[in-house]
Amino acid sequence: MGVGGGATALTACGIDDNLYFTPVETILPYVVRPEAVTPGTPTLFATTVVTGADAWPVLAVHREGRVINVMANRQTPLAAAVPAAALLELQRHYSPDRFAGPLDAGATTTWDAAIPKLASAVAKARAEGKKVAWLGGYRSGTIVGLIQSMTGGEAVFFEGLGRDAEAAAAELVFGSPALPRYDLMGAHYVLSFGADFLGGAWGGAGTQSQYAMARSANHGNFVARFALVSPHKGQTGARADDWYAAAAGSEAHVALAVAKLVAEKKGVASAFAGWLAGADVAAAAAASGLSEAAIAEIAEHFATLPSAVALPGGVAGSSAGATALAAATYVLNLVTATPAFSAGGYPGPISTLARLEALVADLKAGSVGVLLVDDGCDLVSLLPSEFGLAEAIRAAGASFSFSSHPSATQAACQVTLPISDAFEDWGDEEVVSGLWLVRQPSGAPVRDTRSLGDILLATWRALDPAGAPAGNWHERVRAAWIAAAGEMAPTTTEDAVVADAEPTGPTPAQLRWWESTLAAGFVAMPSYVSARPLTPREGQITLPAAPSGDLALHVYAQPFRRDGRYANSPWAQETPDPMTGQVWGSFVLVHPATAAKLGVGDNDLLTLATDKGSLDVGVEVHPFVREDTVALALGDGHTGAGRYADGTGVNVAALLGAQRDGSGCLAWQGARVRATAKGAKADLVSTFGSDDHLGRGWAEVVAASAWAPVGDAAAAHPGDLVGRHGLPMDVRLQKAGIEDFYELPEHPVYRFGLTIDTDACTGCGACAIACYAENNLPVVGKVKAKQGREMGWIRVNRYITDGDVHFVPLMCQQCGHAPCESVCPVLATYHTLDGLNAMIYNRCVGTRYCANACPYGARRFNYHTYLWPEPLNLQLNPDVVARTMGVMEKCTFCVQRIRRVKDAYRDRGFNNRVPDAALRKLTACADACPSDAITFGNLNDEASVPASSRKSGRNYIPIPEIRTFPAVNYLARASFHHAPAAHGAGHGEGHGDGHGEGHGDHHPTEAGGAEPPAHH
Amino acid sequence: MASNDAIYGYDPRDPAAPNRPTTYGQVNRDIIRPLLRPTALWLLAMAIVVGMMVWGGFAWYQQITMGMGVAGITHPVMWGVYIVTFVFWIGIGHAGTLISAILFLVYSRWRTGVYRASEAMTVFAVMTALLFPVLHLGRCWQAYWFFPYPNQRQLWMNFKSPLMWDVFAISTYFTVSAVFFYVGLVPDIAIFRDHSKGLIRKVYGAMALGWHGTDRQWHHYMAAYGFFAAFAAPLVLSVHSVVSWDFAMAPTAGWHSTIFPPYFVAGAIFSGCAMVISLLMPMTYLFKWEPYVNLWHFENLAKMCLLTSGILTYAYGMEYFIAWYSQNPYEWAIFSWRATGDYAWAFWLMVFCNCVAPLVWYSKKMRTNPWSLFIVAAIINVGMWLERFNIVISSTAHNFDPQTWALYSPTWVEVGVLIGSAGWFGTWFLLFCKTFPAVAITEIKEMVAPPVKGAGH
Repeated sequence: MGVGGGATALTACGIDDNLYFTPVETILPYVVRPEAVTPGTPTLFATTVVTGADAWPVLAVHREGRVINVMANRQTPLAAAVPAAALLELQRHYSPDRFAGPLDAGATTTWDAAIPKLASAVAKARAEGKKVAWLGGYRSGTIVGLIQSMTGGEAVFFEGLGRDAEAAAAELVFGSPALPRYDLMGAHYVLSFGADFLGGAWGGAGTQSQYAMARSANHGNFVARFALVSPHKGQTGARADDWYAAAAGSEAHVALAVAKLVAEKKGVASAFAGWLAGADVAAAAAASGLSEAAIAEIAEHFATLPSAVALPGGVAGSSAGATALAAATYVLNLVTATPAFSAGGYPGPISTLARLEALVADLKAGSVGVLLVDDGCDLVSLLPSEFGLAEAIRAAGASFSFSSHPSATQAACQVTLPISDAFEDWGDEEVVSGLWLVRQPSGAPVRDTRSLGDILLATWRALDPAGAPAGNWHERVRAAWIAAAGEMAPTTTEDAVVADAEPTGPTPAQLRWWESTLAAGFVAMPSYVSARPLTPREGQITLPAAPSGDLALHVYAQPFRRDGRYANSPWAQETPDPMTGQVWGSFVLVHPATAAKLGVGDNDLLTLATDKGSLDVGVEVHPFVREDTVALALGDGHTGAGRYADGTGVNVAALLGAQRDGSGCLAWQGARVRATAKGAKADLVSTFGSDDHLGRGWAEVVAASAWAPVGDAAAAHPGDLVGRHGLPMDVRLQKAGIEDFYELPEHPVYRFGLTIDTDACTGCGACAIACYAENNLPVVGKVKAKQGREMGWIRVNRYITDGDVHFVPLMCQQCGHAPCESVCPVLATYHTLDGLNAMIYNRCVGTRYCANACPYGARRFNYHTYLWPEPLNLQLNPDVVARTMGVMEKCTFCVQRIRRVKDAYRDRGFNNRVPDAALRKLTACADACPSDAITFGNLNDEASVPASSRKSGRNYIPIPEIRTFPAVNYLARASFHHAPAAHGAGHGEGHGDGHGEGHGDHHPTEAGGAEPPAHH
Repeated sequence: MASNDAIYGYDPRDPAAPNRPTTYGQVNRDIIRPLLRPTALWLLAMAIVVGMMVWGGFAWYQQITMGMGVAGITHPVMWGVYIVTFVFWIGIGHAGTLISAILFLVYSRWRTGVYRASEAMTVFAVMTALLFPVLHLGRCWQAYWFFPYPNQRQLWMNFKSPLMWDVFAISTYFTVSAVFFYVGLVPDIAIFRDHSKGLIRKVYGAMALGWHGTDRQWHHYMAAYGFFAAFAAPLVLSVHSVVSWDFAMAPTAGWHSTIFPPYFVAGAIFSGCAMVISLLMPMTYLFKWEPYVNLWHFENLAKMCLLTSGILTYAYGMEYFIAWYSQNPYEWAIFSWRATGDYAWAFWLMVFCNCVAPLVWYSKKMRTNPWSLFIVAAIINVGMWLERFNIVISSTAHNFDPQTWALYSPTWVEVGVLIGSAGWFGTWFLLFCKTFPAVAITEIKEMVAPPVKGAGH
């Protein structure tokens, strides 16, 4: 592991912006070759990216002076994963709209002018007795002290998709705003009131990974059951086994009623009498529209399943009862004394909306001399204008934005001091109490940005040359950690004899400890390891009035754009929305019955109006919202936020007023809208064809009750796949007892394969985006995406059967008998000895025959030569050629990584064979997957996951009748609603097939199979 | 209709027919008359087809510089109207070879009047068809990679690929058709040489290869002609079978079927005969060839169409029957979607054009009515293009994975290229009409009473 960006100044070559037509390279040899950099070999830097309310450890992949990718850091106690947001941070790093340097009133300025200006503004404010205020997202660690020393202690750390209601509820129930810690790994029952914990904005990749463990019978002989209480079933909710479509805003009532019933069952009702005082099952049923039986069912599961845990609401639950809901879930967890719920989650600081509103009031009153606004979420654009944030910022005596990206918030500030991001800066983050992630630069700054710490230190030095601490930001962070580490970084006698060591500086042993800490990327304090139970105070929960009104507006966070911070990332715009396949735009989800009532269909414009405002947005008819609710994602509809974000989608804030809950926390939910058909077409782009897989075996189901006791063990069979359709095997093959009439290709050493566990897959899109990053996939934009020309090599198929959502990531299946190989006239695609369907891009002439022959639709064609606006081109992986127009492309199991690992093991003399452990997470998709749903391996190695999982009863291969002998196998989703036998699997009606009309209602079934399903 | 009866209303087998050519000299004059003298109408037609070609060239230029994205093809429909039209023109070519080679071998007399034009149509149709495999390539500038040329990079082609079979099948077909066409032309070029002066005489003289019409030359000529006829005859069956394998060899539902070769060959002859009617009918009228090409020929062509229409109708029905009988859900889904889905209009229009409209020719009256012949032939041409459209587009649009389903529609670039290709065909055909006898002079003479008893040709 290297330690920093010093090497990057000596970049070996600069690449012209015009990558494709006339590449001009200036080759400058290294004068002194940096020790840590071998050209052609990546250097990995453990670092930490902040993705909103959450931070995540990753390894930044550094090549020849630039960060080209992020990989999972497998050393931290958190799960090894690269969530989609971490990849989006990487693309933000290279955003072409990132500021080139500091700006003053929109004009370019220099750091030498800007920092004295900041210092003098602070000095003036202090002299006038005015406040120096800080407004930004969640920050933790060393930087917080520096910020507070600048502002005199006060600072607003507020996130639009934050956890302020949970903090307020923690204050209410436990007397401290520190958040509780959830550990879903052992949970048998997860009851979510809307938190998007499987790849959404809530909980990050940690909860997703834990849930995957709880879900898999291979990790214990149970399959966690997931129940969702929410008016909308989104990407996370799609994984729910039971969806209780409670009316918007009634979740707190349900949670408390469930808590009461559970407490009664557990016989602890008296202990929680105060907290449960407001609980009323009948009232909750009336408010939510659920039956009392449904609420009783939830309580039954919660009380009887061994370890049940309730999760709060996140954005979906942030209604007028947001704090009440969070508190009710805490009570519910306390009632069962679940081990999955303990003290020591994110410790803060978390500011509630009330703190933000106090700042706004101060600003308007003129009592703030200097306002410092952090990088991150664009709060002016995100929050409803009734909060008056933009005017308040303009009312500040002086306002400085640290944003390095254009945004409405940044535009409201007078001076912009763009700061370095996670790949350019030092820092530390406390993600869970006692677990610190450290950050180090993994490349030189892409633009003329500076570290926030250095800016603040320079300002401090300008204000108080004598009192300011010495050293730069890096030294401050290091010194803070060496001091905090204490005995972890011991001083040895050897230090005394090292003449180079400064008398006041860290000792060599301490430096070694610090370097090893940087290499690992984290520090775990003793407080992290011990789980401490939480004890409630006395108190009670005040439920808000039951919601009423006609059409509720449900606001949710799209998993890629989130709070809008990634809206200017082309990957976030072009990765299909997991539930609808929509790209590049906003859409309102309308229940089919409501759509019929309103007289609208897919892609019709609908006018949504409240007394705060109105907007026109295209309709996506969607079965997973309540009939009395429409759902619209936030984070879109920007102006002045960059070329990709501007004008894409609509901003839901236009419909909202200043909505707060009972304890002054932000409430996204609660608005009622009037919807009227506009009578015009919208411009929505969906990449999805038919919703129903028509019984073609793309998505399969096993009974959870059969899988749970045995796991995927080869010897045991967890029951047949439910409702298997397809053609019977050729009788001649059956008689001969052979696999196929034709010999399969020989694979003497490796036959690389992937296993995809559709039960673990949450549709979070991390694999798809990781593939974009690793394989230089171009982004085509809205117009071309509308023509169906998006380039993703991994298509996360979403099928709906029986109201169940199945996510099936589909990439090239690397078939043994590949239809694509035999039809290519120029041998541009061929079968390797490793079992890959290799692509020779510069041999391809573009007949596209291979794509027509491919039964999986896995091949993508370059209709044009796509360019990467500078400096997005710096992210390109030098190991993978960027394709030009007229060439077919597809997944090759990251053959460049295979090549690298094979070379590495050959050089180390490992008998020419790469061990399974080095293969499991080799491909970019497998490495990224936070749910551990994708595993790579050698099918010739019986111990590998792809080989052993093929013996599992959950194993299936889509459309096996085509007899392509693919290298990818899938594991069926577990269902609690199917009996273990191979019966009773009617395939549900299709939903909103864009192409209309009836497809074959003629599905033959195998003996003993289900009746032929009827399709519309 | 009375005037048309005057033009076409005779059977050449009837010695008392009014317009019957009487002497070799009249034959020469009648057929050579239109040559090398551009009329205003011809110039206008030429201007139109050249204009079409220029427009097509512009469209292709757009596609080369901007990429295939300017065409409408998209995932999962990776072949669009280029391949549709490729198969269409290849099919058109087949009737020419059928008429000139197979009918020659079976001594079918009515072949004489129409074979030259049919053969020219074959050569030009294949030339037009050959445009498309190049046009549709993502990187057309690499098209030479299809050929087995020696190179130091040790690059070779994939002989397993049906497209590679296409390369050889079609290049063989083109070579044989062109040679056969030229061999048939030699005696006529000699006549033309004898009737011309100056530079033109020199050019035709060189092309006539020293033909003097001696017995010895005729002896060798007839042997060679018979040989080429026999050589070309199996190509009628093989080439379109190979083209059908472009589809049948892929596992795509709706393509992967053993019925494809005979079904494609029948369709090719069907469309080709209709195209011969469409082309010769106006030429006969314009060039006043009624003594040589007339309703007798057209009626026979119509009968060919009737036969092949019946075969096609059977094949269409059999595709549905097998899709149902095999219980293959993917097949059945494709075929039911073809008839009921987004492209149902194309399917039912195809059924009307190819199965229903030709039925009117079962009536002798309709079969011998020039307007009925001309209109129904045009309908068949449309229908056969649609047949290929149905095959190429619908199978890929609704492939195995329902999540990928999408629709295709051509863009102005594709339409422009199609127009250009029609212009390309038209240009060649019009040039041919003015430079070579479009009716075989020597063979027509065989049907005229010899001027001197016992004399040869």
